[in-house]
Amino acid sequence: MRKRIVAIARKEFLHIIHDVRSLVIIFAMPVLMLILFGYALNLEIQNINLSVFDFSRTPASRKLVNQFAASKYFSIRYEKGTPSTIDSLFLSKEARAALIIDKNFARDFRNAPTTTVQLLVDAADPNAASFIKNYCNGVIGRFNDTHSTTFPLPFEIKQRIWYNPDMKSAYFFVPGLIALILIMISALLTSITITREKEMGTMEQILVSPVQPNEIIIGKVLPYILLAFLDGMLILLLGIFIFDVPFEGSSLLLILLSIIFLMTALSFGLMISTIVSTQQVAMMLSLSATLLPTVMLSGFIFPINSMPVILQYLSYLVPAKYYITIIRGVMLKGNTLWQLIFPAMFLLILTAVMLRNALHRFNLNLEK
Amino acid sequence: MRQIYYLIRKEFKQIFRTREMVAIIFGMPMIQMIILGFTITNEVKNVHLIIGDRDNSRISREIVRSFKNTDRFTVIAYETDINRISENIQEWNAQMALVIPLHFGRDLERHQTPEIQILMDGLDGNTAGVALGYAQAIMQRIARTLQVPEPVIASSSVVVEERMWYNMNLDNAQYMIPGIVVVLLTIISMMLSAMSLVKEKEIGTLEQLMVSPLKRYQLLFGKIIPFLILTFIELGLVMTFARLIFAINISGSLLLLGFLSFLYLFTTLGLGVFVSAITGTQQEAMFISWFFMVFMLLMSGFFIPIENMPPLLQHITYLNPMRYILAIIRDITQKGAGLRFLLTDAVPMTIYGIIIFFLAVVNFHKRTA
Amino acid sequence: MKTDQIAVQTEDLTRRFGKFTAVKSATVTVMEGEIFGFLGANGAGKTTMIRMLCGLLKPSSGRATVSGFDVYRQSEQIKQNIGYMSQKFSLYDDLTISENIEFYGGIYNLPVETILRRKENLLQELGLQSEAEKLTRELPLGYKQRLALGCALLHDPPILFLDEPTSGVDPKARRSFWNLIYLTSQKGKTIFVTTHFMDEAEYCHRLSIMRDGEIIALGPPAKLKETHKKSSMQEVFISIVNGELPA
Repeated sequence: MRKRIVAIARKEFLHIIHDVRSLVIIFAMPVLMLILFGYALNLEIQNINLSVFDFSRTPASRKLVNQFAASKYFSIRYEKGTPSTIDSLFLSKEARAALIIDKNFARDFRNAPTTTVQLLVDAADPNAASFIKNYCNGVIGRFNDTHSTTFPLPFEIKQRIWYNPDMKSAYFFVPGLIALILIMISALLTSITITREKEMGTMEQILVSPVQPNEIIIGKVLPYILLAFLDGMLILLLGIFIFDVPFEGSSLLLILLSIIFLMTALSFGLMISTIVSTQQVAMMLSLSATLLPTVMLSGFIFPINSMPVILQYLSYLVPAKYYITIIRGVMLKGNTLWQLIFPAMFLLILTAVMLRNALHRFNLNLEK
Repeated sequence: MRQIYYLIRKEFKQIFRTREMVAIIFGMPMIQMIILGFTITNEVKNVHLIIGDRDNSRISREIVRSFKNTDRFTVIAYETDINRISENIQEWNAQMALVIPLHFGRDLERHQTPEIQILMDGLDGNTAGVALGYAQAIMQRIARTLQVPEPVIASSSVVVEERMWYNMNLDNAQYMIPGIVVVLLTIISMMLSAMSLVKEKEIGTLEQLMVSPLKRYQLLFGKIIPFLILTFIELGLVMTFARLIFAINISGSLLLLGFLSFLYLFTTLGLGVFVSAITGTQQEAMFISWFFMVFMLLMSGFFIPIENMPPLLQHITYLNPMRYILAIIRDITQKGAGLRFLLTDAVPMTIYGIIIFFLAVVNFHKRTA
Repeated sequence: MKTDQIAVQTEDLTRRFGKFTAVKSATVTVMEGEIFGFLGANGAGKTTMIRMLCGLLKPSSGRATVSGFDVYRQSEQIKQNIGYMSQKFSLYDDLTISENIEFYGGIYNLPVETILRRKENLLQELGLQSEAEKLTRELPLGYKQRLALGCALLHDPPILFLDEPTSGVDPKARRSFWNLIYLTSQKGKTIFVTTHFMDEAEYCHRLSIMRDGEIIALGPPAKLKETHKKSSMQEVFISIVNGELPA
């Protein structure tokens, strides 16, 4: 039996090797994606255009504005008009935020316990607005630290940040990217290969030979597991070298669990190809069913715990969710197998269910 | 142009004849819109918290109560041993821990400024930062109630009165729901167009069409127009449903939004057809269009603001049609912007569409599989 | 029915793909009403030849005209005047028979009444009137083949190009297909056919044999057999391809 599987696997492998363009795409694209998104997905804002309406025009107010100017994140522009122009400033995108200092600023700053300034933020993009708001508050906080003595808090808060103390975006996103890339390649590849043969009719030729249907599936899928695995290793290494993502845990463990994950992704692709009749539909289904859920429900960007409960349950069906925990866990926390046993188990269960479904349908299709 | 009409008619017949295709085209975006619409939240909630109250005084219990009373945090364990806490954080059980030291209440009364520890999993920097902010806010609220007013005149501290313009509550849904609809339709439209032409290459009917007097641009129009009509109608449908389900308000002109979305769809379809024109097999077309889509998705400003990207990469986003339409959607739905302010996005997007269509015609390889 | 008008003429027609020359200096003249065959092994250059004449490929050098139109500068007029059928049959499996016919009629810009009229005729000829609303994929191969031919003739072109039109079809169907070709030729149409079936070569008025891009023999089948002193085209072909000179 093994010989037959190997024979099929080899044929499939040769198919792939001869398709140079696809090979280039399979390996070059993920690398490109890793580099592009590793740098692009950033939690730090680059530049905020801040319009300043300073009606006080005293040394005190200028000190405040300078605190903003000194920050590399802000580009300051003094506005001559009234705050009624803010709307058109925001509309034309000349400014993302506006600071309004009223004429009593200096007086209040000398005499009152607190002095109020107004901050208006273009919140049409709430994500960006959050960032901007936080940065502004950070600047004001620093201003307060240097220029005023507030009542000290009766107690102190000491914070310790474990794992990624510098809060580097790359640490968070790069492992997630790897998972994203892997799941898509595998699901895509498998669904295509099986359906294509169905379409071309060569499936029947193989079926009349003494090869078992299960052997066919395993044989066909094997080269793709290998490819996806190589791909994964490639971007993993790149991620580590280019972005300095640490690797605290056991590489053996990661390899093992990655293989399990690949099997899950591939089973998904297999399942799709047994449901569907044409290559076109297979591709569309595998893509539309994996892309958004993987990006949004897996914890890649949005924290799962913050989602409505129903969706938290739904995320249990997303294989990428488990793998993201796994890869972040091994790379950044040095998790052991025991600590990752739940995600691993869930992956195995999902694989088993989908594989069984696929095989069942495959046999059904044969009988038709 | 009669010939284009025949091409369109054929395309429609083919699409509607495959039930699976119709199910995906119409079902997927709708279903995903409903599901994903509910994931959109910028709020950090339900942060898993461990409480380690070593003091158990009245004040420490009050602090603990404050943390329990908010849905921002969910207390999952009570644990005072730092090692156990560390384990829990490592094992993904909790993201944060609050440790109140022994004699906290007593030291407080003696003005000895005791220290509360907050331990955090910093992996998800964004969530960690926000959660930390919440925790500090809670603490400061409590601190203020404890404060004894000092007669010392200290100099003032600056306090910010914030106003979130266009979106008072930083409600993510208002912007992101229409965004999600556009994203979903981008996926569908690109896939449809990317596969369609190359499929005809594969099965050989393209050759038959090339031998006829049909011009290349007629063929390409014949591919784009049916999908354009289809996806545009679907956009309208899904958007309407989305607005109903999620109660989205649109400040600006619906007509303008529709018109610009139409242009956008033309651009994405053009992109898909371009991919179809330069590839030889459906598999290749799928790979390339898929990577295009991931690029478009992640670099559109939808998940991570474009402002956060390094300047070089910000420039690359100009090549992404999705960037423009999302900005347009934002501006129309949130700011009620009129056409004048939208031109900086609408014009490049349209030019992009024209250029890509032109490129598709020119690069149309008559290579058959 | 042959006339004295030239339908297709080539002179030193050549096509290169990088370093590889697919067609070398082909010089051929085909008269109106002829059934002209292109015989050769796979890869000999037959398909490339046809594609150049159909306007699917630009030649690398040499001259050619189809129906008097130049292949370099007047390919649009050529396309209006030719019909084409490839071995893939190029019908849309997921359209009905009726829809396929109407589609190809519309592509060639025929008026609606003409399309409907010719559709009825075609359906009648094929005996498929009652099956018109069936999906094309359900047709047996022989029918598909004839349907494809019918679609290629829908706009009544004077010249027909057939690239291995009988691939994969059983011998009986092949015979009846060639009967169709004869009938079409009788109506005054010129038919340019490529094939690798030797027995089909016998059916042509004239044929040429290609090997490695070159035309190594040209003439009516009877003459070729006589020149090479063989009794069947198969033997002629083998001997020519093996490099034996005519006796």
